[in-house]
Amino acid sequence: MPKHYRPAGKKKEGNAAKYITRSQAVKHLQVNLPVFRKLSILKGIFPREPKKKVKGNHHTYYHVKDIAFLQHERLLEIFRDIRAYEKKIKKAESKKNPDLADRLRTRAPSYKLDRIICERYPKFVDALRDLDDCLTMVHLFAALPALEKEKIAVKRIHNCRRLSHEWQAFISRTHKLRKVFISVKGIYYQAEVEGQKITWLTPHALQQVFPGDDVDFNVMLTFVEVYETLLAFINYHLYHSIDVKYPPILDPRLEALASDLYALSRYFDANAKQSVVNPEASSLSGSEQVETQQNGIPPDESELRLAQLQHQLPSNEPGALMRLVEDVADEDQEDEDTKACKKLFKNMKFFLSREAPRESLLFIIPAFGGIVSWEGEGAPYKEADQSITHQIVDRPTQGHIFLSREYVQPQWVYDCVNARIILPTEDYMVGRVPPPHLSPFVDNEAEGYIPEYAETIKRLQAHARNEVLPLPGEGTEDLEDPHKLLVEGIIDRAEANEAAERRRKMRIEQKQYLNELKLEVDGVQYPSTASDNKQSSSKETQARESEPDLQQIVQDHANRSMVVMSCRNRELVEAMQIGKKRDLDGVEHLKKRKRKLEEAQKSGNN
Amino acid sequence: MVEAHGIRHTRRAASQTSAIQETLCSVASSRSTPEPGAPFEVTEDANGNPRYIYKDIDPVYDSDDSDAPNPGNTIGDIPLSFYDSYPHIGYDINGRKIMRPAKGAALDALLDSIEVPKGWTGLTDPATGKPLQLTEEELDVLKRLTRNEAPEDGYDPYPDMVEYFSGKLEQMPLSAAPEPKRRFIPSKHEAKRVMKIVKAIREGRIQPYRPPEDIEDEDFDVKRYDIWHDETPRADHVMNIPAPKLPPPGYEESYHPPPEYIPDEAELKAWLEQDEEDRERDFLPRDHGALRKTPGYERFVKDRFERSLDLYLAPRVRRSKLNIDPESLLPKLPSPEELRPFPSHVDAILRGHQGRVRSLAFHPRGEYIASGGDDGTVRVWYTPSGYQLWQARISDQDPVSAVQWRPGTDALVLSCAAGENVFLIAPKLPIFSPFSTLDDQVDPITASRDLLNAGWQARSSSPTPNASNGLTGATTKEATATWARPPLKLQAQGVLIQLTLKTAVKVISWHRRGDYFATVSPAGQSNSVAIHTLSKHMTQLPFRRLKGLAQSCQFHPTRPIFFVATQRMIRSYDLSRQELLKTLQPGARWISSFDVHPGGDNLIVGSYDKRLLWMDLDLSTRPYKTLRYHPRAIRAVRFHHGGYPLFADASDDGSLQIFHGKVVGDLMENASIVPLKVLRGHKVEGGLGVLDVDWHPQEPWCASAGADGTVRVWIP
Repeated sequence: MPKHYRPAGKKKEGNAAKYITRSQAVKHLQVNLPVFRKLSILKGIFPREPKKKVKGNHHTYYHVKDIAFLQHERLLEIFRDIRAYEKKIKKAESKKNPDLADRLRTRAPSYKLDRIICERYPKFVDALRDLDDCLTMVHLFAALPALEKEKIAVKRIHNCRRLSHEWQAFISRTHKLRKVFISVKGIYYQAEVEGQKITWLTPHALQQVFPGDDVDFNVMLTFVEVYETLLAFINYHLYHSIDVKYPPILDPRLEALASDLYALSRYFDANAKQSVVNPEASSLSGSEQVETQQNGIPPDESELRLAQLQHQLPSNEPGALMRLVEDVADEDQEDEDTKACKKLFKNMKFFLSREAPRESLLFIIPAFGGIVSWEGEGAPYKEADQSITHQIVDRPTQGHIFLSREYVQPQWVYDCVNARIILPTEDYMVGRVPPPHLSPFVDNEAEGYIPEYAETIKRLQAHARNEVLPLPGEGTEDLEDPHKLLVEGIIDRAEANEAAERRRKMRIEQKQYLNELKLEVDGVQYPSTASDNKQSSSKETQARESEPDLQQIVQDHANRSMVVMSCRNRELVEAMQIGKKRDLDGVEHLKKRKRKLEEAQKSGNN
Repeated sequence: MVEAHGIRHTRRAASQTSAIQETLCSVASSRSTPEPGAPFEVTEDANGNPRYIYKDIDPVYDSDDSDAPNPGNTIGDIPLSFYDSYPHIGYDINGRKIMRPAKGAALDALLDSIEVPKGWTGLTDPATGKPLQLTEEELDVLKRLTRNEAPEDGYDPYPDMVEYFSGKLEQMPLSAAPEPKRRFIPSKHEAKRVMKIVKAIREGRIQPYRPPEDIEDEDFDVKRYDIWHDETPRADHVMNIPAPKLPPPGYEESYHPPPEYIPDEAELKAWLEQDEEDRERDFLPRDHGALRKTPGYERFVKDRFERSLDLYLAPRVRRSKLNIDPESLLPKLPSPEELRPFPSHVDAILRGHQGRVRSLAFHPRGEYIASGGDDGTVRVWYTPSGYQLWQARISDQDPVSAVQWRPGTDALVLSCAAGENVFLIAPKLPIFSPFSTLDDQVDPITASRDLLNAGWQARSSSPTPNASNGLTGATTKEATATWARPPLKLQAQGVLIQLTLKTAVKVISWHRRGDYFATVSPAGQSNSVAIHTLSKHMTQLPFRRLKGLAQSCQFHPTRPIFFVATQRMIRSYDLSRQELLKTLQPGARWISSFDVHPGGDNLIVGSYDKRLLWMDLDLSTRPYKTLRYHPRAIRAVRFHHGGYPLFADASDDGSLQIFHGKVVGDLMENASIVPLKVLRGHKVEGGLGVLDVDWHPQEPWCASAGADGTVRVWIP
């Protein structure tokens, strides 16, 4: 009898009953593997790790209930229908009946994922929480070229483009963007919506590289299908939460000029104005009425006049954009952060040169309260506009220079956004190598190493908060005084803790050493009876020789409890220590590199 | 040319058939005399044998030969140019040379040019080498072929159609069958099928075809309702595990990172050489300097694809992240300060031994330390000052492997083992303090000498040693050990007895009364453990056979129990009842030494596989606590036998660890073990550090023997 014999008719129990392998699941559902894959992507079913793997370690296990969930899915039936229908088309084609095939194609069964989205994300917050991958994928497809070979349809790409712009427009409009970071992979953005931090990555606006056979686009396209639907619903919800109609109707002229984002912001503007101008019209829908009642602030007359005026303005007036920035629905409901973000680029007028990353900057600058225009058709104002304060330029030299404005590299905008202060522009001037671009996602305290420029920014922030002017000629030297820095909040807790720890250790060592010295001094004096032997002890040298290595003693003392610890705990502690040591080594490595660089620089200067 | 080919093939075929025929005929003729009319005639050849002479076949129409015109050239399909240098151009069917046709002289050629013969083409027939002549008809066929016309003369490609079946009613029809009825009534099955469709249309099962324009005007992807408009607060489903988010980018991922984040040449090379899967990061930190110089990321699509795979293929587990402070895992130990006194630093370093010091022992009064080493000397030191008082070279080649004082404060008897010999010595030592138990008149040294010499008399009184005293019925043989006087030189130094065993002795262990001592010589199979009686100069072998290699032995401090340690086990025997009491399994691979707690219920065991084990005899035969902290083997372990709850071990890593090991009288409470101090000082030489350790019998001092040739005394 085998070891795990189960009598016939006895039910399975435990892990054997709870989990089935993938091939079992596929067999159970009576589908093929691609359909199973598609279903599990759409439904968000993933394998699980049972405590005991009944069928062996090299299998993928699914929970039985997950598979049952798939089995009851209507899509399963629809997929079968589609398969049957495709056979019909194929038959018509092979019988040389293209008319029938075309007609059949127009009526092919299709499916919607609305219900699945509702099922997967019963709460709006759930959907937001899972948005990272969705946004990155949609932004990637928005940047991909249509490919017949990989079944990437033009329609899909346009849809992704539209959805990504709608999302950006909302984030920009409601000033919910928090962090931006230009990385070698692309540009990272982090927004905070309903308390959820949503981070996504957009590729650089360059031709995308298609990796040959390594990538199965069927998988990606299935994901994009879900993500499109999800993002569309999220956009709908978000737009309605700020009383803007969805789907937005864009100015076809701007759309044709590929400035969708600007068109969207104009749409926002117009929509918001409508709701301000004629509240009667908006009161048709119940929820909007509630919204206006909550606001409770009747728009004052001058505002109203202004709005009316601007409504009549031609669509391409800079005034409209100004208005856009100022006009936000609920001022009171915003948190501190949003308010700070809104005011960052207030009263600043930007102009983007041809080579600056337009899409990204058009998204970021309005999100932080700035007004922006670009070189090209459809721009709200031209380069010659005298009120422009900053021009974003990314070229080695700038030909014609307007004295009234500052010429900065794009990185300046990103760094300002991350630091939340307006940084001095000298370092970012055209033709210079800008200071290092730092990731806002790094927790310096946890990392244990702070780059030089991060400290500079910290100091600038402190100055900005305290409204204290920076001392002229203040360099990194005064970083050496830890007390002062602690007061300024420049060195952080971790470092302070480290210092305290070091002091404590030193104290222990000192105490121990003193103790031992004392014992040695008032130890028992033995009678030194003379002996006829020539060889004598070397008591006089012993004091020096046996002087204990302090470090060793401290280590022994620390290891004392390790000696009696159980093996399991000791391994755990050792593993932790290894992890800590690795972190410290990383930091040390950085510091060493930094020192080397500084020395090289010094010798280069000399 | 085509014609020529065809001709050649047929000709070859014809020649082959004729050859076959000839052989067939020859076979037939050999059997029978030639019939009249046979195609050959029989003559006689020079030897008188019959000779068949065949007639030439006349290729008449009826003959088997085809209408090949003449026997042609048999050279096959090779260019004639091969024969250019020969007078002939090939061979005919009979193997005769076909001579090259004579070429006309220049005049002939001129004549030919003037008078072109009929059918002259100017070409040479490759088969015959003669000028190719074509007839008028043949030329005509070739001409037609070049014009893509039918080669046949008078062929009409478009003849007029003859209408056999026409709508015209003939006077005489081809078939006279009457018209069938089905020509006059509508089809029933057609009607059925039509009605089926009609019914389906009526019921709405078949929709009339609608052009697709009206469907397409609505964009399928645009959502026009809110799925979360009536969401109710509810908890997350237990089984739902959201996908983990990707780690946020660090400084090194920046397009323009701080310079210290950029790898140098060596790291860059290492990164490039690494396998793609092994790399810590999938990108290389680089400084692009300006945004315009930043290239597109080529792995973007691949990264997203891999993430997608992770999302639907990777098993998800909810793992609680281990977020414990490592401090909390450490057991709370009492501070060593509370457990004072214990030896913590070196008091004296006793130098003198050449080479390793193998063993050392404190005298029961604590005044003297005896040590023995690789140089074959035994030395006695004065504990308080560390001065050497006495020394004797007891062996020239063997190291002194064990040194042990006889228990009891009444005498100064030192036992030591060197090679196979065990020496019992009464060293002449200066007496610093009076031996309280003795009368003032009796010198302890004299007492010791008397003690050792008493045995000689005992042996002489009973010359045949009594064999009934063995533990397990073992016999005492004269050969197992010989008690003798050492050489005179040694006797002068106080070495009074030389006991020679069969194999080298490693351990000496005394009974508390001082009359018995046991020796262990691991190499000597059944003789490995021997118990000696000092008063009778008698040696007994308690075990006839011992499982495993004996390593060490000890007498129980209070009861008549004897412990023997083999490589893996420690066995305890009852001496009075002569039986095995217990088998302890410390679980060590190779026990080096052990010691019995003065209470008698606990053991510490040191092993070569770096473990120190505390065994509680009441608790289990397995260790109560296993301590593994020395990086090298443990050589010796020792309890303090003078009242302090201390024990120590000596390891090959050159350190001693002092422990506080308190045994509580209460059976319910386990012994508490607290590591107190690591004593370092001995140097590691030749892979050996500290070889032996012993405690002062009264004070919390200990002494250690090192491989560096020193003995160190450690005091609080």
